[in-house]
Amino acid sequence: MGKEESFTGIIKENEGVIFKITTIYTRNEQDQKDLYQEIVYQLWKSFDSFRNESKISTWMYRVALNTAINQLNKGKKHSNTTGIDQVVLRQTENYDTEFENRLKIVYQHIHQLNILEKGLILLLLEGRKYQEISEITGLSETNVGTRISRIKQKLKSRIIKN
Amino acid sequence: MDLEEIQTVWSEMSDQLEQQKKLTNELIMKMTQERYSTKFDKITFYETIGAVICFLAAIYFLVNINKLDTWYLLACGIFTIAFLILLPVLTLGLLGRIKRMNIVKNSYKETIVGYTKAKTQLLLIQRVGIYLSFILVFTCLPVFSKIMNNKDLFLQTKIWLIYLPIMAIFLFFFSRWGYKCYKNITNSAENILKELET
Repeated sequence: MGKEESFTGIIKENEGVIFKITTIYTRNEQDQKDLYQEIVYQLWKSFDSFRNESKISTWMYRVALNTAINQLNKGKKHSNTTGIDQVVLRQTENYDTEFENRLKIVYQHIHQLNILEKGLILLLLEGRKYQEISEITGLSETNVGTRISRIKQKLKSRIIKN
Repeated sequence: MDLEEIQTVWSEMSDQLEQQKKLTNELIMKMTQERYSTKFDKITFYETIGAVICFLAAIYFLVNINKLDTWYLLACGIFTIAFLILLPVLTLGLLGRIKRMNIVKNSYKETIVGYTKAKTQLLLIQRVGIYLSFILVFTCLPVFSKIMNNKDLFLQTKIWLIYLPIMAIFLFFFSRWGYKCYKNITNSAENILKELET
């Protein structure tokens, strides 16, 4: 299998993951598109170096999350409240308003977290194990566990407040 | 909605996204070959244009520095030239550092630390630049006037009587606003750094 073929295969397989990352780190559709393209570009650029590594997901999450951080607040102002409506989910024929509303609440909670917590909660929700989260983030496994418990507490207290 | 429900919604969304796949091989490869104009590139572009203008002005003042025949005009000239060279160099250097971050090798934590530090320094330079630019307004005007028209503005007190109070009021409000913005951003940056160090 050629380089392009295997790369496009990986991206296609993970396009939903990239979409979710871009939704968490951006506030409007244009920024989200920019970030999506930048992530794919950076993944392609680093594809050769990945080939020698073991896990696709670790490489992909690391590059995607680092790119998201690098793209953050590049000197422009953006709205804090709008945008989510357009980026929550690509609408399908079986569009479910109730689900969309629940999803908006989920994103609102995640958007309130700081950049480190956003990355951790994303990896947790994606079902990554502490060991892999530790490899991606550079935090120790114990530290990951502690921080995730704190995030859970934080979310819980916010949810109770609301 | 508790964490379990968040997880349920998340996995439901993931399933839906699985069914909505849109990317084609052509589109993916287009994204890899065509560097889209990102906001960061735009900032670097504008900063570079600004730097070129500053350097050209600095060269112009340097070439004509012999026309500044008093110690105070010479001091103003040196400050103006230093400002026009140093500030753009520092800003471009920091933007370059952000751009050169190794997003493949660095962990998420290292990227956050690197990014936050560079951002804080960039903001500091911008803030210092705002204050210094007020001094620049005072220094470059007499320098420019002397070089262009051979007039020593320091000897014309009337101009300064109008000019100084207006600039002082402007500086007072602008710096207060700038400090507030800077403080808010750096506080949150410091919190993240502190959190990562613990």
